[in-house]
Amino acid sequence: MSTKFLRVIKKAAALTLPVILIISLASCGKETKDQYPTPTEKFFVNDFAAVMTEEDINTIYTKGAALDEATTAQAVVVTVESLDGKEPADYALELGRQWGVGTEEDDNGVVILLSEGDREIYIAVGYGLEGALPDSKTGRIIDNYGLSYFSSDNFSSGLVNVYNAIVNEIYIEYGMQPSENYIPADLLPDTQSETSSLGEVMISWIVLIILVALYMGVFGRRGGLFIFGSPRFFTGGFNHRGGGGFSSGSSFGGFRGGGGSFGGGGAGRRF
Amino acid sequence: MKKKGLWITLAIVLVAVIALIGVFSSNYNKFVGMEESVQNAQSDVSVYLQRRADLIPNFVETVKAYSLHEQETYTAVTEARSAVTKAESVEEQAEASAALDSAIDIWVNAVTEAYPELKADSQYIALQDELAGSENRIATARNDYNETAQEYNTAIRKFPANIVAGLFGFEKAEYFEADADAEDAPVVDFN
Repeated sequence: MSTKFLRVIKKAAALTLPVILIISLASCGKETKDQYPTPTEKFFVNDFAAVMTEEDINTIYTKGAALDEATTAQAVVVTVESLDGKEPADYALELGRQWGVGTEEDDNGVVILLSEGDREIYIAVGYGLEGALPDSKTGRIIDNYGLSYFSSDNFSSGLVNVYNAIVNEIYIEYGMQPSENYIPADLLPDTQSETSSLGEVMISWIVLIILVALYMGVFGRRGGLFIFGSPRFFTGGFNHRGGGGFSSGSSFGGFRGGGGSFGGGGAGRRF
Repeated sequence: MKKKGLWITLAIVLVAVIALIGVFSSNYNKFVGMEESVQNAQSDVSVYLQRRADLIPNFVETVKAYSLHEQETYTAVTEARSAVTKAESVEEQAEASAALDSAIDIWVNAVTEAYPELKADSQYIALQDELAGSENRIATARNDYNETAQEYNTAIRKFPANIVAGLFGFEKAEYFEADADAEDAPVVDFN
């Protein structure tokens, strides 16, 4: 009796298991209908188009990891050969959402997407950083720090420069010291002067220091110029997290997304 | 014997009623939550529409530095702008904002044609970025709204939940349709 019962079960299993497998495989294929790459081990820098030097990749990774640990914010560089006919803004937004760049509580992620084939750069900014990086400032960062490199096909240097600017703007947002020689994008002259005399440099540095002091003191965390409201813009007050320990966005050894979301903020350029 | 039968029937009815109430209330609560998400998603769209409408005066200020704005095309923008703020339903909002889109495009086209040096103005570039970002946000909020609305609409139409939905008057949420005029809208080249 029991052996017969067992045999029936075995037979049933043998018949149904492949069916279940096929169904689950089919549904898997369905879910990845829109093909987007998955992040590399180096989460902060994903050079799918192979346009970057080893050195620059390491520089960005180190900066990204330091930023994540200090602020929980995540800035991610992605290079692709082609956008597969998608709009750069949509592609960057979708990558940011799928990878969950930034934390879930603060949505403090940035995706810097460069398509070699389409000759497009787009920086998508998560909800929580729209105050630190309004679209106009983001556009300006591309213009001032990256565009000349990109148009001369020096993608690697351009990306390092742009990444540096984004990271420093995020540090300023979190009330932390940006790198020593970083000039906030708000204070940059419209067109970068080629060379200037030592005296000019000294004067501009003094002015800059005063301006930075004013900027930090008067306007607080947020620089004054653009105060466009967005619903989530004012919600998450950021807390400065002390050093030490891994943030929620990182796992043992490597880093990955913390569930941050994006709402379409950012700016892009064609080069 | 007869009495026992009655008790059993009563018990079955009681269990059925409890089960029914369970199904009703859980579905009802689910729909309330979903309806709330749909409204939330819709208000996100409105917020971004408003954000874009608020940018237009800044734009005008910038352009004014160059010249008086091109009168005719600008009147169309102000009219379309006030229509957006007045719009209430999803459909009205979509129509009004599509009209605003094309009005802005026509106006910006006219102005930059008359004053090509505007394209190099940093203030102009900044506003252009903000405007483009606004449009991205509107498009994203609309997509998100449609997804939320679709989930909700599917839920209220499924059996047996549709009975609950019908009973308590949960109505199908409208979708944002891609507007038909979008194809005719003039293309603006800022490069």
